[in-house]
Amino acid sequence: MRIELQAELDALEAGFQEEGEIVLRSIRGAIDALRTQDVELCDEVIAFDDEVDERYLALEKQVELVLARQTPVASDLRLVLAILHNALHLERIGDQCVTIAKLTKLSSHLGTHAAVVEGLVDMGERCSEMVKVSLTAFADRDVAGARGLHQLDELVDNANRQVFREVLGYVHDPEALEWGMRQITAARCFERIGDNAVDIGEQTAFIVTGEFAEFTDASHDPRPLE
Amino acid sequence: MDTPRIDSARIAETATGLDRADIERREKVFAISGLAVSYNGVTALADVELDVYRNTVTAFIGPSGCGKSTFIRCFNRMNDLIPGAKVSGTVLYHGADLYARQVDPVEVRRRIGMVFQKPNPFPKSIYDNIAFGPRVLGMKGSMDERVENALSQAALWDEVKGRLKDSALGLSGGQQQRLCIARALAVEPDVILMDEPASALDPISTTRIEDLMHELKRRYTIVIVTHNMQQAARVADMTAFFSVIVDDEGAARRGILVEYDATAKIFTAPSDKRTEDYVTGRFG
Repeated sequence: MRIELQAELDALEAGFQEEGEIVLRSIRGAIDALRTQDVELCDEVIAFDDEVDERYLALEKQVELVLARQTPVASDLRLVLAILHNALHLERIGDQCVTIAKLTKLSSHLGTHAAVVEGLVDMGERCSEMVKVSLTAFADRDVAGARGLHQLDELVDNANRQVFREVLGYVHDPEALEWGMRQITAARCFERIGDNAVDIGEQTAFIVTGEFAEFTDASHDPRPLE
Repeated sequence: MDTPRIDSARIAETATGLDRADIERREKVFAISGLAVSYNGVTALADVELDVYRNTVTAFIGPSGCGKSTFIRCFNRMNDLIPGAKVSGTVLYHGADLYARQVDPVEVRRRIGMVFQKPNPFPKSIYDNIAFGPRVLGMKGSMDERVENALSQAALWDEVKGRLKDSALGLSGGQQQRLCIARALAVEPDVILMDEPASALDPISTTRIEDLMHELKRRYTIVIVTHNMQQAARVADMTAFFSVIVDDEGAARRGILVEYDATAKIFTAPSDKRTEDYVTGRFG
């Protein structure tokens, strides 16, 4: 039994889950800022991203050390690679939260439209749930749970389309349209967060099965782009 | 101007290791089935089925006592030299039974050379160490050329060309081991067996031996036993993991072949839990 390697793997895994907790706080902040149109909270979410980045860089450094010192193989190697992969996905989710906060701030002087805000908040809640599921499935090595993320992602994609359709209705109102365009970008950020959560789930399957396979192939999605 | 030729297959091989299907399309140098070895009636290794393919490096790994050294000695009938050793089952070499009565073990060992854990040069000059085998076998052609060829292939020529008449015992451990490889190559073998060839060497000499294996497999088929799993991961195309089973009373132990697959598979996603436990260091 390689005690030191196991201790380092445990530390990596704990570090990854901590990064996940921090990113969930980012998502929560971005959703609340959107719902309340609170500019100060937007600034907090933007500043908080430094903490996410710090966690990511610390994990990346830890992965480098484990690879250099312990040369893990087989399931240990898959775990280390998956953590490196997923830590970057979490960091990207943090970036999406920053963009959502910036967009909320930028459009705060314009009138909001409740239907779109509700749609975005709904997307955000679903994304937050997806990230939680992806982290739990990873910790439990629960492939079925991870696969379930694909269904949750479809709901996020549907909500994204709804926001898009809603904004199309603002075409004759320049101020509403400007606001709406920014919200479409925010919706796109949430949609990416959902994708990142699915990607994290795919890594769970990789750890358990030893084979990497995408749960869905977005490049061959038959549905039209909106 | 000519466009540089890009060997994409070679690049893919370098990047990811050979694919098992690609390896299995190659000629079988050895086809082993139902192999068992016993010493004085006590089974040391049983039920081994395994094929070795041309121009590949095949590594045997496993804990002490798993029979991997016993197994490699079956490839050139070295077990014949151990009193009380009995080999049963089939070892086909290019389709011919290696253990058939009419087969000459000396000819077997010319075609299937062996390098051991501890370098064992003869107490003679560097030149004579290489020339010894070809002379005994009465091989024709220029001996100087043969010696230079063998030493060049073993990446030793540049280091010793000015002192071929010096004693081989004056060489460093790493150089002595490359000399032993050159000695095996001088009799124009088809296969080179290596039993822990780098375990007595420092890391730099080990790297040279490993680089040499990558070079030599273009011309020869190489089979290696190693305790160093990372070495198997670095040099081998195929890896076989052997383990030990102990009987209920804990008295008898014997080696078994647990898993044999492309090295990349063994070290990233082995199929058998026992292999996984061994390569990750959780057992053995």
